[in-house]
Amino acid sequence: MSARDEILARLRARAPSEVLLPPVRPPAGPAGDVVDLFARRARDAGAEVVVVPASAWPARLAENLVGRGVRMAAVWDDPVLSPAVASLQEAGVAVVHAAGQTPQQLDACDAGLTTADAAVAVSGTLVLSCGPGRPRAASLLPALHVAVLPAGRIVATLDELLAARPASLPSALTLVTGPSRTADIELVPVRGVHGPTDVMVVVVG
Amino acid sequence: MTRPAPIDFVRNAEAALANPALHASVRRAMVRFRELQRAVIGEVPDWQDLREYAHRVKMHTLAHLDRYLEQLEAAVTAAGGRVHWARDAGEARRIIVDLVRSHGGRAVVKSKSMTSEEIELNEALQTAGCRVVETDLGEYLLQLAGDRPAHLIAPAVHRSRDDIARLLARHLGVPVYDDPRDLTQVAREALRRAFLGAEVGITGVNFAVAETGTLVIVENEGNARLTTTLPPVHIALMGLEKVVPRLADLAVFLTLLPRAATGQRMSSYVSLVTGPRRAGEADGPDQLHLVILDNGRSSIAADPVMAEALACIRCGACLDVCPVFERTAGHAYGSVYSGPIGAVITPLLRGLDVAGRLPFASSLCGACGEICPVRIDLPRLLLELRARVVGGGGARLTERAFVRGWTAVMAHPSRLRVAGRLARWVLRVLWRGRLPVPFPLSAWTRVRDLPPPPPAAFRDLWNTSRRKETGP
Repeated sequence: MSARDEILARLRARAPSEVLLPPVRPPAGPAGDVVDLFARRARDAGAEVVVVPASAWPARLAENLVGRGVRMAAVWDDPVLSPAVASLQEAGVAVVHAAGQTPQQLDACDAGLTTADAAVAVSGTLVLSCGPGRPRAASLLPALHVAVLPAGRIVATLDELLAARPASLPSALTLVTGPSRTADIELVPVRGVHGPTDVMVVVVG
Repeated sequence: MTRPAPIDFVRNAEAALANPALHASVRRAMVRFRELQRAVIGEVPDWQDLREYAHRVKMHTLAHLDRYLEQLEAAVTAAGGRVHWARDAGEARRIIVDLVRSHGGRAVVKSKSMTSEEIELNEALQTAGCRVVETDLGEYLLQLAGDRPAHLIAPAVHRSRDDIARLLARHLGVPVYDDPRDLTQVAREALRRAFLGAEVGITGVNFAVAETGTLVIVENEGNARLTTTLPPVHIALMGLEKVVPRLADLAVFLTLLPRAATGQRMSSYVSLVTGPRRAGEADGPDQLHLVILDNGRSSIAADPVMAEALACIRCGACLDVCPVFERTAGHAYGSVYSGPIGAVITPLLRGLDVAGRLPFASSLCGACGEICPVRIDLPRLLLELRARVVGGGGARLTERAFVRGWTAVMAHPSRLRVAGRLARWVLRVLWRGRLPVPFPLSAWTRVRDLPPPPPAAFRDLWNTSRRKETGP
C-alpha cells in the first residue's frame, strides 16, 4: 500500500466525531474611520504612513524619496502607479520595471514601489497580490518598500477581507505589516533583518 | 535498532537550574512576552469566542482529516504543486533528500520549521552532500553553534549577545560587535548571499487551506518570503494536522496566532502560497512540493482523549506562562517540543517509555490551558498521560506503597485521626530539631520545602469553631 493510502486508511479508522464545522463568522460591523485606524495601527507596527489627496501624491512621493536619498526605484506594472513614474523621473530618480530585474539588480535598488490590493485597518496590514508584472521580490529585496494604497481599498478586519473570497488566488498573496523585524538577540528589536528596513504607505484619497 | 534512552527531565532540569544566567535570560524573555501578549489579547473583545471557534474548527478537522487532506491534495495539485506523503520521519527525509538531489541541488536554504527539526532533516541533507543554511536569525545562530532551539518562537533565547558576537566573529571573520543591530546586519549579509545562490528552499507550514490548496507561512523576518521567492524549487513540510477547511478560517487563526505567539496584532509577513510561479511571473519557484508527514500523528488523532493535542498551532504561549518552563527552558524536555505542549506531544510522538516523565514536569497550575488560543485543555491532557504512565506500571515502588497506605488511612476516620496525630508529631520533631528528612520522604522534600506543622487537625479546628458558633 502506498504511504498515501496507508495514512488515509489509518485516519479513516477514527470514530466519527460529533463536532460540526462552525459557520464562518460574519464580519464585524463597520469600525468607524478605517483610514484613521489603519494609519494608527500601521504606524504602531513600524510603518510610515502619509495620507495624501489624489492630486498631490505623485509629487509628494517624489519629494519624500529624493529626501531619503533614493536614486533608483523598482516599480510594479500597475496603472495606479503610472502618475508616480513621471514625477519620480522628473525628480531625478531612475525608475525600472521590477519584473525585468534579476534578484541581484533588485537587491541594488534603493526602493521597491508597489500598490496594495487591500489593507486591513485593525492590524495595519497591507495585502499584496503578486503576479505578472508584480514580482514578489519588489517588496522584499530593496531596503525601502513603498506601497501606494487607494483609501477605498481599506477594510476593517481580516474577516471582511477573506469573506469575499476571490474566484482564484494568486500564486503569492502576501500580507505585510510593518518592516522586517527580529528580536532573536536578547529580545532587542531590530528592523530589516532580511526584508525592508523601512515601509512607507501612501494612502491616496 | 537500539531503544532510545528515556528523557530524564529531572536531571536535565537540575542542570538548567544550576545555570543562573540561563534562568535570568529565559525569565526576562518570558516576562516580556507575557506583557506583550496581555496588551494585544486584551483589546480583542471577543477573544473567548475566537478561541472557541478555533477549537471547534480544529476538532472538527481532526475528526475528518482523511477528507480534508484529500481535498488539500487535489487543490494543491490543481494549482500546479506536487504532493508527497510520508508515514514517518525516515520516509520524509528520503523524499526530501531525493527531491533535492533530483534537481542537482546542493545549496539549500531553510526557514524555521519545528517539523523539520522533529525529523532531523538537516543531518540527512548534510550526509547527502548538501549545504543547508538555516535562515531564521535565531536558528542560524544555533546552527553555527551546533545547538538546539530552547523555545518554539524564540529559539536562541538562552544565548547571550557576547556569546553570539564571538560566534559570528569566529564563523564570518568579522569584528566582535556588541550591538544587536550590528550583529543582525552581519548575519543579514551572510544570509543574503546564501539566498541569492540557493537552488532549493525548504519551509514549514502554519496552515494549509483544503478548499484552495493554499499554504500559509507566518513570520517576522522575511526569510520565509525569500525562501519561497528566490530558489527555483520550494519544498514545504507539514504535519498532517495543519490542514484547515476554509480560507475564511484564516481570519480567526491569524488573529489568534500572532497575538498569542509574540504579542503582535499581526506578524510582519504572512505568505499565502497557492501553487508555483505561473506563466508570465518574474519570480517564485518553478516547482512546489508539499510533503505531508504522519510520524505518529494518525495514532494521536485516533485517541479519543489525546486527539485534542493536535489542535496546537505552535504559538508557544503555553511555554511563556509555565512556571516550570520559565525555570528550566526548553532543552530540559529533551525534544524540539518543550513546555506544557511538549510534555503532552513528546510522549505521544515518541512513546511513554521514552518520555513518560514529561507529563510530571508541571505544577498543574492551569495557566497553559487558560492562555492556549485554540483552547486545548492542557492540564487535563497532562493528567490523563500521568494516569496512563501510572496505570502502565510506570509508577515508582515508593509512590505505589505510599498510595496504598494513603488509601488505607483515608478509608477510616479513626485511622486518619491517628495518622494525623502521628504526622503532626513527626513534623514538629523535624522542625524543632532542624533534622534532615528521612528517606523516602526526602525524595519529596529534596525539591520542595517542608510545610510547618499545623497547631491542630482540621477537624478539631472545625469542631471547635462550630461549637463556638452554635453556643454550648
